[in-house]
Amino acid sequence: MAITDLPEFVRADGPDKVTGSGRYTADMTLTGQLVAKFKYAGVPSARVTKLDVTAARAIPGVFAVLTQDDVPDVRYSYGIADRTLFVKDVVRFDGEVVAAVAAINDKIAQQALDAIVFEYDELPAVTDLEAAIADGSPLVHADLDAYEVTGDTPHYGNVGTHSSIEMGDVDAALASADHVISSRFLADASHATPIEPRSVIAQWEGERVTVWTSTQVPFDARAGVSETLEVPSNRVRIVAPHVGGGFGGKCGAHFEPHIAALAKAAKRPVKLVFSRWEEFVAPDRRRESMVIDVTTGVMNDGTIVARTGNILLDNGAYMADSSFFPQAAAMHVAGPYVIPNVKIDARLVYTNHQPSGSVRAPTAPQGCWAVESHTDEIAATIGMDALDFRRKNIVTTGSVGAVGQTYDEIGLDQCLEKAAASAGWGQELPEGEALGISVGWWPSFHAPAGAYAKMHGDGAVQIITGASECGTGSVMTLRMLAADELGIDETSIELIYQDTGAAPSGPGSSGSMTLFNHGRAVERASRQISDQLKELAATQLEANVDDIVLANGVASVAGTPSASVPIVELAGASEDGELLGSASTEALEWPEIVGSSCLGDQGFASWMAPQFSCHVARVRVDKDTGVTRVLEVHAAHDSGTIINPMAAHGQVEGGILMGIGQALTEGTQYDDSGRQRNAGLLEYKLQTIADAPKISTEFVEIYTPNAGPKGAKGLAEAPNVATCGAINNAIANAIGTRLNQLPMTAERVWNAIEGEVE
Amino acid sequence: MSNTSNLNAVELTVNGVPYPVAIETSRNLSGVLRDELGLTGTKEGCDDCECGACMVLLDGQPINSCSYLAVQAQGREITTVEGLAEGDDLHPLQRNILAAGGVQCGFCTPGMLMSATALLERNPDPSQDEIKIGLSGNLCRCTGYAKILDAVSNTAVELR
Repeated sequence: MAITDLPEFVRADGPDKVTGSGRYTADMTLTGQLVAKFKYAGVPSARVTKLDVTAARAIPGVFAVLTQDDVPDVRYSYGIADRTLFVKDVVRFDGEVVAAVAAINDKIAQQALDAIVFEYDELPAVTDLEAAIADGSPLVHADLDAYEVTGDTPHYGNVGTHSSIEMGDVDAALASADHVISSRFLADASHATPIEPRSVIAQWEGERVTVWTSTQVPFDARAGVSETLEVPSNRVRIVAPHVGGGFGGKCGAHFEPHIAALAKAAKRPVKLVFSRWEEFVAPDRRRESMVIDVTTGVMNDGTIVARTGNILLDNGAYMADSSFFPQAAAMHVAGPYVIPNVKIDARLVYTNHQPSGSVRAPTAPQGCWAVESHTDEIAATIGMDALDFRRKNIVTTGSVGAVGQTYDEIGLDQCLEKAAASAGWGQELPEGEALGISVGWWPSFHAPAGAYAKMHGDGAVQIITGASECGTGSVMTLRMLAADELGIDETSIELIYQDTGAAPSGPGSSGSMTLFNHGRAVERASRQISDQLKELAATQLEANVDDIVLANGVASVAGTPSASVPIVELAGASEDGELLGSASTEALEWPEIVGSSCLGDQGFASWMAPQFSCHVARVRVDKDTGVTRVLEVHAAHDSGTIINPMAAHGQVEGGILMGIGQALTEGTQYDDSGRQRNAGLLEYKLQTIADAPKISTEFVEIYTPNAGPKGAKGLAEAPNVATCGAINNAIANAIGTRLNQLPMTAERVWNAIEGEVE
Repeated sequence: MSNTSNLNAVELTVNGVPYPVAIETSRNLSGVLRDELGLTGTKEGCDDCECGACMVLLDGQPINSCSYLAVQAQGREITTVEGLAEGDDLHPLQRNILAAGGVQCGFCTPGMLMSATALLERNPDPSQDEIKIGLSGNLCRCTGYAKILDAVSNTAVELR
């Protein structure tokens, strides 16, 4: 529709989204499309004794029934290639796909599922992290040593990756410390829970397949289809229509290969739409549960001298993208503090749970929650204010951190002061209310990304990018970067995105990498056009090219504004009739580290353009019921330069609310055999608008070299890091005792008040 | 559907447009709106009245259309997100939620807009708490809700 009354600044996909005209994957229909349904194992650990789909295939209206026997025998996953598309001989979690059906409608698809003969002998389920690494534990993968392994991925028994950080001499330092404080923390698993359940549609034309899918990472989805179905990547086109949220849950290749395989076998387009239950149990992207033991040595004056840590992370049944989790978790338990002696070991443990994978700042909310709760315990032990203790120990510009990295100009100290001041740290509060403080950090990641830029003969501009938009704001921010380079209004730029058939590749919407990487590519591709525009304008205006300025839609000569030509007239005057740009990111320098050795280095040993944050939460605890309400969160973030304030504030507010959910209500519960007990939105409670507190956000804008466009760092994951810790510290201050389990449900808070240990 | 014997001929009036359709009694309203009428602005996020993405108005009252039988809507006025704008002019709620930055992934937005429309119809001057109660059946995972709250507040002021 030709909307005429839009506000001055809106996201480019906004009108589609508010009028209902925008299409998400599940909104699409292809002529002749079939319905896909999956047969799930429904048992967490078993050996398959019989799988017979003959009867299902014979049902009229059933066009394809596939098992692992019907697809290439490929094992895949990052780090350790430990899984197949469908169950092969052994079931390792209850949501594992045994078979897939394509049928003419829902009912017949369901009949086909019911007609599949699937028999098995149950095996002992591995569900407890400490039991899983003990001698004699059943092995989730008996053939682990036979799998293909990539990268520095030490693995043994039920341990998928073992990473460590080691610096200095912790034993000597702990022996010399005035106080040694030890804590143990247990974090439950949780979920990304985008409101849009995933959907996938696949259609073949000859040997080429197009897959429309609600992915955050179209190029990873392409790689997954290509690898598992053995189709060259140039015959796989992934298109993501509008994507209804991801938060990591829609990273990786998920079910695109299954649906592509079904469509090929059925010779018809096939569409999958997940139910909410499936969205909980089947994806290999769940936030991992953890057991965290941490010990810190501190002097009477508040100087931290040493820290040891031992972390177990629940990998679930398969690797997904989790091989870096132990190293990331170890970094969080070290924390953004100056600690000269550190030894932290972290192990990613296979269990018969749903696989863990990247969910918004993977490992960070739990790791930060644990170490920031521990930090308050240390401060209390030596009788120091929690804010003062952090002032003394956090990393600042020029510090060597606990991991041996020297930091360029950073703003954590300013974040601490701004958040504390905003919250009124130290003020008297009513009975039952208290403040709690937490600092957090998260890296930015360099990844190769490309962009094309085109200025057509009529002056219209297209930016073709591998970036994705799942709510993050790239449709705004990338256009702003291009408009700035080209000297034109951003509303005259169209972004072509989420189509692997059109764009150069890139990381998509993952790892807070859109602005940081795709942004740099868009900026460079646009600059190639602006360079050409300046040449054309210099010729027309008989001026030196270095004197041409592009701004407000006009190319003019610096100092002589009357000598000018509209930019839209320049492209058509070029020899080729249009202007083209094509660029990729330049590699950034990885920061050096000193004196730190790492086992299982998965690229997290040093952090590029690290982001810092401080959250102060104000809570009210009802001591009769244990119900905690978060009344206010005061946040201050150093994410470098802020390009798009609307998107930045939106990310911080959304990340904090997600953090409140993880802090208070979001925790996956398992029965003894490893099945999820609360795989629904009534039982797994997200925060509603009625729960949402007042959130104040300030940005400490520090131009960061060796980073994203204009000195920007990443942004979207960092707001999800510090909230849980701030809330736990606030609860502890309100009730006088500390919880060591996440989420801090009303029941657990009540138990803590009553002195009962769960 | 392969089995035609259970079909009911009904007329559904959506956004003022009558749609004669033949549907099974068991079909839910969201499914019929989306699959039979092509009005895919109404989203489905849980099929269980938990997320509110499927919220539509039935004679002005918000209902979760995933859990409402389409045949029950015969003879009643159904309003979906596609019916909010008048021609090319956005409804003030649509314009204000964009201006406030209350749209990110956009999947909850149609349901949120329908709940807010119903709220402002019955209460043109809602307090912040009344807005929160009116929208508490609509889950949003992206925004933190503050900008949605702002958009509804701003709209109430604008419409008064």
